[in-house]
Amino acid sequence: MVAPRVARVGLAGLAGALLAGCAKQGATVQGQQIHDLYVLIIILAAPVFLGVEGALLWCVLRYRRRRGSDDGPVPQGAGGPRSLGVFFAIPTVIVAFFFLYGERTLADVQRREPNPAVELRIDSFQWQWTFYYLNEGFFVTGRTLTKEPVIALPVGAPVHVRLEARDVVHEFYVPEFLFMRNALPGRPNEFSFTPTRIGTFRGQCAEFCGLHHDQMRFVLKVVSQADYAAWVEQTRKAAQHVDCDPSGPLRLVSKDNSWNTGCLAVVASGPFVVSVSNLDAGIEHNFAVYDKPQRKRTYFQSPRFVGVAEQTFQLRPLPKGRYYFECDVHGPAMSGTLIVK
Amino acid sequence: MAITEPRTTGRAPEPQPHWLIQWLTTTDHKRIGILYLLNSFAFFFVAGVFALLMRSELAEPGRQLVTTNGYNQLFTLHGTLMIFLFIMPVLFGFGNYLVPLQIGALDMAFPRINALSFWLLPVGGLTILSGLLAKGGAAAAGWTSYAPVSEQGGAGQDLWIVGLVVVGTASILSAINFIVTILRLRAPGMTMTRLPVFVWSMLATSLLALLATPVLTAGLIMLFADRRLGAYFFNPAHGGDVLLWQHVFWFFGHPEVYMLILGAWGIVSEILPVFSGRPLFGYPGVILAFVLITALSFSVWAHHMFVTGQVEFPFFSATTELISIPTGVLFFNWLATLWRGRLRFEPPMLFALGFIALFLVGGVDGIWMASPAMDFAIHDTYWVVAHIHYVLFGGTVFGIMAASYYWFPKITGRLLSRKLGYWHFWLMFLGFNLTFFPMHELGLRGMPRRVADYLPDLGWSFLNQVATAGSFVIAVSLVVFLVNVALTLRRPRTAAADPWEGNTLEWATSSPPPVHNFDRLPEVRSNRPVWDLRQRRPAEEQA
Repeated sequence: MVAPRVARVGLAGLAGALLAGCAKQGATVQGQQIHDLYVLIIILAAPVFLGVEGALLWCVLRYRRRRGSDDGPVPQGAGGPRSLGVFFAIPTVIVAFFFLYGERTLADVQRREPNPAVELRIDSFQWQWTFYYLNEGFFVTGRTLTKEPVIALPVGAPVHVRLEARDVVHEFYVPEFLFMRNALPGRPNEFSFTPTRIGTFRGQCAEFCGLHHDQMRFVLKVVSQADYAAWVEQTRKAAQHVDCDPSGPLRLVSKDNSWNTGCLAVVASGPFVVSVSNLDAGIEHNFAVYDKPQRKRTYFQSPRFVGVAEQTFQLRPLPKGRYYFECDVHGPAMSGTLIVK
Repeated sequence: MAITEPRTTGRAPEPQPHWLIQWLTTTDHKRIGILYLLNSFAFFFVAGVFALLMRSELAEPGRQLVTTNGYNQLFTLHGTLMIFLFIMPVLFGFGNYLVPLQIGALDMAFPRINALSFWLLPVGGLTILSGLLAKGGAAAAGWTSYAPVSEQGGAGQDLWIVGLVVVGTASILSAINFIVTILRLRAPGMTMTRLPVFVWSMLATSLLALLATPVLTAGLIMLFADRRLGAYFFNPAHGGDVLLWQHVFWFFGHPEVYMLILGAWGIVSEILPVFSGRPLFGYPGVILAFVLITALSFSVWAHHMFVTGQVEFPFFSATTELISIPTGVLFFNWLATLWRGRLRFEPPMLFALGFIALFLVGGVDGIWMASPAMDFAIHDTYWVVAHIHYVLFGGTVFGIMAASYYWFPKITGRLLSRKLGYWHFWLMFLGFNLTFFPMHELGLRGMPRRVADYLPDLGWSFLNQVATAGSFVIAVSLVVFLVNVALTLRRPRTAAADPWEGNTLEWATSSPPPVHNFDRLPEVRSNRPVWDLRQRRPAEEQA
């Protein structure tokens, strides 16, 4: 019976590799608390695991039937109320301790930050993220299937997040934060975290959300306070300096829930025409023009229409200036600047 | 020695119809049980091939074998078929064959309903699979089919819904049949406290199926209404609620997990005593654990929903952790059964011991997820994939294999090869751990579930390759099993009525049993009537 021993020892070795703490340290205050809980559970679970596997191995080695040895009767006792009581008592004690500690960590992780340094609204749809910096007044998004959004957060500063979804259930997940939370249509979620480590962390949608679920990623950079201020300034400026020249008829094409351009320009000379081509089969888009991303004034709003289809819209004359256009279904991830020159 | 009279009809035998007609029209619980087993293993094969395709695709970053849509269909069908058309029916198949034998009955209470509930299974299963021929392919929203993703998709998703309603109806009918059979058709002396543990496990499974499956059926009908009839149950834009689906699904889904494991607990609790030469330690404790788990399983569903952030955390983590107490009791009783026994390592025993070793991993790694804060770190990662497979493969499938080796001689009159059985066990044990243990670490490193692809710079490639290699070792082990079955079926029927020195009534009749099950039914005075019989015989011979 060498083979079973080898296999069981191998199993214990594999378990040891897990116990050695392959779990990531948390890169936030809350994540670190979760990591501590992970370690505590190892401390509770390892003796149970090794004890039971050890007892199993012991029985297999000690009580195997030996050839030629005495064939006396096997004890036929089957336990009574006392063993039953002991068997129930042991796991009860372990579970009670574990439950109380787990609740304490949960309360810490769930606590809302009263004075956040950064307030984020995170919006999701198939298959893109938009990060609104509420106090700084800009947003960051990507181009679906081609470019993932890259955002920055200052180290050591508490961040509060309001998490929303436009179509199906998504999930905000940053492995290094040891944290994930569903983005639910119609049921916003709020949570806080404080990054503690400078670095570049990959985030990904963790709740299966349809065809391109695996491509719904983002990059989160935790940077120093100074770098963060510089990044904010640069991002805000970039948003204000979008520019393009008027050239021929205005045409927007949506493919994989991205517009072909982030900038439309027209010369101020009476009404003008925008044609919108929706190449996304079965998906609704529309075309709307506002003053700013905050959408205080609406200049134009087309009905939504399902792809594949093309529609042409006539817009009233607009005074010279910069306007914000978007698809209302998908928000800023499908937006751009309309410039009337 | 009290023996009931053999049942004879006293009529001349009628001409026998063609064997195929006999099998298609049978209402004999043993034949229906065999049909269940054949059908279940056929779906096991299909769903297993899907798993190999998925593992092959994931072996390397980038897209090699299937499209994204193809991958999404693969994991949806793999989960759906394994759960609803392999594990659940294979346990009901063993139940069909064994419950009447173990309680000393002639057949199930409702033989025709029994036949109906079997034949619904291939119909439902093929309905789901027929989605592969539909435009856009089969269902691709996962076996949990969360709304609103499941409200998208084409006809494949509708076929999935209809197929599952059919399969669920089969479960409900079977459950009623088992409950009535067990409560009403027990042999004289077979009190509830002498009922074999496997029969208890089937009773608990049936109660769960009867109470939980209709909830899934209701959910599926709501989903269909949303998709095709213009309803808004799960659409927040029109006053619906996306979480409603999750509540309905998991209110069914968590009892479902216990439907998938209770039968295996019953199997292992039958096999360990036989090959240890000891009674099952703490029989009342095991039954109490079954009953507590059955009751508690209806109060834990929202632990699948911790990451929604919108459920009552303390309640659901408390009930989830409570359920680990009776589960722990089972482990103590199994170990105490082995303790001071005389262990014989026949293939059924190896698989039963493998079950304990592996199911323990699935129990222990579940502790992490029971704590909501910890769950936030690992839910929806490969940790969960590892957990569910340690429970349902390391647990239930090892139990099913133990049952297959243990009852094969009863069902076919032939003993499977011990040598090939050892090969099967060790290959499967090795392959299983290679495949699923690394997934814990993949989960800790942040690999989410249900992704068709991953980036090469994340450090997930090597562990994925190990898992893929392991999955092919599992496949080889199952080929060994298939060869073993094929070779054994060509040999003559030489198995004795009681080749293992069993405890329960099925070993008191011939292998395979006659149509009417028992020529002579031994007296039942304990939960080990056949053991009692063996103990009495030498004494009688001496006297």
